[in-house]
Amino acid sequence: MLSKMIKLFMVLTIFAVVSNAGKYDKQAEKDRKALVKYFEAKFEDPEKNRNQFFPYSTDKELKENITKGLKHHDFAIGNYAFSKQGKVQYDEIKEMPPYEEFIEKGEDIYKNSEALKKCFPDTKIGGNYPYFDDKTGKVVTLSVAINDCVVKAGEEKLNLKKGKITHIEAYFADQTKQADKNMDIKINSKKAQQAYERGKKYYYSQRGYLKLSCASCHVQGAGQRVRNESLSQLLGHATHFPVYRLKWGAKSKTSDGLGTLERRMEGCIKDEGQVPPKADSKEMRELLYFMAYMSNGMKIDGPDIRK
Amino acid sequence: MKNLLKIFAAITLVWATNSFAHNVNKQCDVAKLGIDKVVGYAKVHNKEAKAKGVEFRRLNVNNTDLIKAVEDAVANGEKTVQPMHFKGKDKSKTKLDVNYAAQRACHFAITSLTQAKEAQKTYKLSIPGDGYKF
Repeated sequence: MLSKMIKLFMVLTIFAVVSNAGKYDKQAEKDRKALVKYFEAKFEDPEKNRNQFFPYSTDKELKENITKGLKHHDFAIGNYAFSKQGKVQYDEIKEMPPYEEFIEKGEDIYKNSEALKKCFPDTKIGGNYPYFDDKTGKVVTLSVAINDCVVKAGEEKLNLKKGKITHIEAYFADQTKQADKNMDIKINSKKAQQAYERGKKYYYSQRGYLKLSCASCHVQGAGQRVRNESLSQLLGHATHFPVYRLKWGAKSKTSDGLGTLERRMEGCIKDEGQVPPKADSKEMRELLYFMAYMSNGMKIDGPDIRK
Repeated sequence: MKNLLKIFAAITLVWATNSFAHNVNKQCDVAKLGIDKVVGYAKVHNKEAKAKGVEFRRLNVNNTDLIKAVEDAVANGEKTVQPMHFKGKDKSKTKLDVNYAAQRACHFAITSLTQAKEAQKTYKLSIPGDGYKF
């Protein structure tokens, strides 16, 4: 009798563990699907749905510059997905992309570093970061992982926003793109779920003296204009980093305009009117974890160019 | 009934916003309270805002640097302030009257905290599939 009860208990325990395995990403999946649905509805017919989604856009803008009928994977290329004029410029620059030499630099750095080869034996990992490390209870971004790796090997600490780290990330992103891999972020534990929720909260909270949230511009505001630029959408934001920004390239003495997602987010938070969190801070890591999860299932297409 | 509830909610929000703005203006009124007291409020609240990661930065000036510039100006008897750029190497391009700078620093410090508290409840309103309906 007792042995039967023990067996029953064990079966029930295994069943409970198995049935709970996918539980932690339940809310995140719900959020992601709702976001896809929102953007598909928004860009289904901007002219027809102008009152709801584009109240400040002109007739000319909606007719001549915004592509309609966009579906989930179309959103991978930022605002070039819907901005007709922007897409023409984007395609022209992509004919001779300014980031090519930095992919080669990254490859050289990787191939000459025993530490990097040991830490990252697989280079097609662009879609697997950030991940939640249950041992440390922290989100690990690709920038943090690369930096930890070189520091452990006794090398100098890297700038997490630009320079050498972006060359290595560009090489990894390119390798991932060539392997045709997708963004694949996992939420496998209660703590990971909590980190995701904090990242989400950060993204949707109004902050700074302008009282803007990231979502003000990149969810509700996506597709609208700020000066002469169309605001890009959250969906697909994490798939193409590092990016070469023409603005960053113009500032750099070596025309190295590559920057990590951390660098871009610092700029965005600064634009909201707040002191941004550090690139390796808990807030930044969790914010990127949320953003990357929202792009789950989309193709990795980094490095890329942006204005 | 639904419309009535909506009107009631809108009136409550307007009232709450106005009364908050009124309170901040009162707490940061240099003419009534004196610059030292206003800077004192700014310092206390900004310290908390910094610890919570919600400190304001405007035109490359962190609120901490604005407060420091006001304190220095008061100590030296100057009428204008030019706070440091957040990178800490040079002065920023911002030039303000010292009383106005004190009022702004105080306003920024208090607002950053109340805004963060308010966001705890309001952030869900902009999430598609949650509080944001379309």
